[in-house]
Amino acid sequence: MNTRCALLVLGLLLSAGGHAEVQREAFAQPLPALASDAQLDQFFKGRGLFRQAWVIAPSADESAQGLGPLYNRITCIACHPRNGRGQAPGDSEAPMRSMLVRLSVPGTDAHGGVLPHPVYGDQLNENGIPGVPGEGRAHLDWQYSEVTLDDGQRVELREPRIRFSELAYGALNDVQTSARVGSAVFGLGLLEAVDAQTLQQLASAPKADGVAGRVNWVWSVERQRLEVGRFGLKANQPDLPQQIASALHGDLGITTALYPQQNCTPAQIECQQAERGPQPELDAQRLSALHFYLAHLAAPPRRKRDAAPIKQGEQLFSELGCGQCHIPRLTTGQHPNYPALSRQPIEPYTDLLLHDMGAGLADHRPDYLASGREWRTAPLWGLGLSEVITPGAGYLHDGRARTVTEAILWHDGEARPARERFSALPAAQRELLMGFLRSL
Amino acid sequence: MRRFKPWLLALWSMSALAASGEPVVVMTSYPEEVMSRFEEAFSEAHPQWRVQILWRQGYDALPWLRQPEQGGVDVYWAPSPGNFERLAAENAWQPLGVDLRGLPARIGATPLRDAQARYQATELAGYGFASNPQRLLQLGAPTPKDWPDLLDPRLREHIALPDPARVGYAPVLLDIVLQAYGWERGWALWSELAGRARLVSRGGSLVSDEVASGRSALGLSIDFFVASAISNGQPVRFTYPVHGGLNPAHIAISAASKHPDGARAFVRFVLSEAGQRLLADPEIRKLPVRPDVYRSLPAHYPNSFRSAQRGTFAYHNSSAERLALVTSLFVQWLGQPHERLNALWQRIHAGEAAGHDLSAVRACLSEPPVSASAAEAPALLALFAARPSAGMDSVPTSEQEPLGQQEIAWQFYSAQRQAEAQRLLEAMGL
Repeated sequence: MNTRCALLVLGLLLSAGGHAEVQREAFAQPLPALASDAQLDQFFKGRGLFRQAWVIAPSADESAQGLGPLYNRITCIACHPRNGRGQAPGDSEAPMRSMLVRLSVPGTDAHGGVLPHPVYGDQLNENGIPGVPGEGRAHLDWQYSEVTLDDGQRVELREPRIRFSELAYGALNDVQTSARVGSAVFGLGLLEAVDAQTLQQLASAPKADGVAGRVNWVWSVERQRLEVGRFGLKANQPDLPQQIASALHGDLGITTALYPQQNCTPAQIECQQAERGPQPELDAQRLSALHFYLAHLAAPPRRKRDAAPIKQGEQLFSELGCGQCHIPRLTTGQHPNYPALSRQPIEPYTDLLLHDMGAGLADHRPDYLASGREWRTAPLWGLGLSEVITPGAGYLHDGRARTVTEAILWHDGEARPARERFSALPAAQRELLMGFLRSL
Repeated sequence: MRRFKPWLLALWSMSALAASGEPVVVMTSYPEEVMSRFEEAFSEAHPQWRVQILWRQGYDALPWLRQPEQGGVDVYWAPSPGNFERLAAENAWQPLGVDLRGLPARIGATPLRDAQARYQATELAGYGFASNPQRLLQLGAPTPKDWPDLLDPRLREHIALPDPARVGYAPVLLDIVLQAYGWERGWALWSELAGRARLVSRGGSLVSDEVASGRSALGLSIDFFVASAISNGQPVRFTYPVHGGLNPAHIAISAASKHPDGARAFVRFVLSEAGQRLLADPEIRKLPVRPDVYRSLPAHYPNSFRSAQRGTFAYHNSSAERLALVTSLFVQWLGQPHERLNALWQRIHAGEAAGHDLSAVRACLSEPPVSASAAEAPALLALFAARPSAGMDSVPTSEQEPLGQQEIAWQFYSAQRQAEAQRLLEAMGL
């Protein structure tokens, strides 16, 4: 690495890690592996695209044109604020600013994936460009309940009920829905580099407490075959480029070589007739820059890992059984594009597998092999900085959990024994566990 | 550029009216952080109104707002002063119709609204110096207080200068110096500074990144880029120079607004104390235009009105064509031959350090290709007023066109004068 790069990267790293009280850029750092001006240029180019506001075509702003015809937000960063998680609106009338609602009908598509709603497609796009009505609005009506831990502490939980209004294309009957907050976007290149064989070994490894875990098999648009799923809340995307292209298409209405058609259903005439600019709206070169950026966003390093209370909390994490699914350490395999990500020890605290999480978290919307009760184990790296970087961001797929404690208490199904052990802990030990989680 | 079909716009308006939420369409070029914070706070304060953001860069907004029905836009809100002025001349705005008490009509030399109050400034951004205290300490250089301080020999090659051809806010930096020190002295300063600095050709935040990383000890920037870096913990500081300038972001209601009540509610909110306080959010960090609001902000928050009383913001915002002219002049005369310019200035400084009088050589590199009065000629400014622009980049013109011929002449002048400087230096054995 030459001096310029070293200084630039060092500065960025220092700005994230050198100020204990101010770490708001900790999810925006490049991996130290970036070693040349060209790589940093590509990283910053991708960062620009991730933050870019897309505009309606035709536009003199040619590199940013193509928004819609139907869309949710106009930037990637809107749903991934500061590269972290999104937030569920607390007020049922407030708009969804960093989350969306997926839609489908019973059945599967030709590849085993979800069957989009024939009129509304596979997610509700609340906005439309001029001449194209937005599809409607989604609201979360919260139902509240209370859980009492073994030591008597009460914890309020909330659960969303999805409601639609202002539907522009007719009623949404018999539809399967799933509310989703935006996910954190760091560390993804390293997760992409975990090879399929490792995931299958993890799935078949014996586990206690009735914990299972299985691989999702999903369709690769590029390679036209079923592959191991690893991205998305139900592991329904095989690789990062497809995850990115799918989000661009679904959330912003941006076409790519992987998703070349506009996001209109046959019933949406105005959408189909909308004026469009040059296609695809994001070319391969810029998709590659976005991939490079997201692949090389570093997960923040752990803090105070050797402090005695943190180690005690880590021990508890293991004893409770959390680490059976939130596997602390993995080693990456060969990354298909970026050798620097290959064969690296990582601490993502996930197995990338699907687990039955019980009826309370079920969305009743199967996705390839994932049932309505199954979710991919959420990576926990960076969890401890979430409150600093994105205060108010929600935990779990729909952002229902306002705290980590609430998120743990929603664990059921395969995770029920671990949750019950957590509920039985005395307050002091729960705090040790939380201290450990804050160190991630 | 193609335009939208009027029936599509009509359909959009009808669908918007049919919606119970009655979206107020706000056209803006603000980054996501600003849009999100104001959209959220406005919806909380006025749940009966919903905002739909229509995003357009400043140069891309004009064609949209000149469409029939003004493209369905209710409110235009952007840091693009020239657009508001041009569209006001075309009667594109209706009277704001909101209470402007507590909002001064001017700060320093910068008007904050037009005489008919059809558009009003909502926030201000200040130009100045981003610095890395640690790097300055290592170089033994004090923090510059004003533009001539940038010529401190210790800062040579340690200044990041945003390329006016590529970075949107940079043309105003050029103009601030030209206004403050006059045309001849101002350009002499730019020539020497360009000859000591590195040109940074990417976006504004990169200047902060480069200074924070220590690659540059100092960079020319806008306050909010640097304030954002500071709030993110980066080791960088910001200084408003003695001769500073402000860029106001205005707001206006379109004459064709379908939702004037909602538009007015949005304008009122942005100008209200609550809206103005949002500007101090670490993600935004702009300067409020309501002086009372500064009382509720942290003591270290820069108070632009107090600075203006000290004469800091004497800069008067120039027309778009003037900014295009000075940008082109910089690019043709100093920017394109930057490498050679840099080498020549290095030889001059070395020669002067050795005791030589190099005023004649300095003159070769410091005298601009056009005089102050020639630069004000309406015919010349008209060439730049007509120049098409594609964002940060001006569209190159052909040598067959008067503008292209003018720019080539400036390049030729630059080459001749640099050759003369080189000849003089060689004649002196330097």
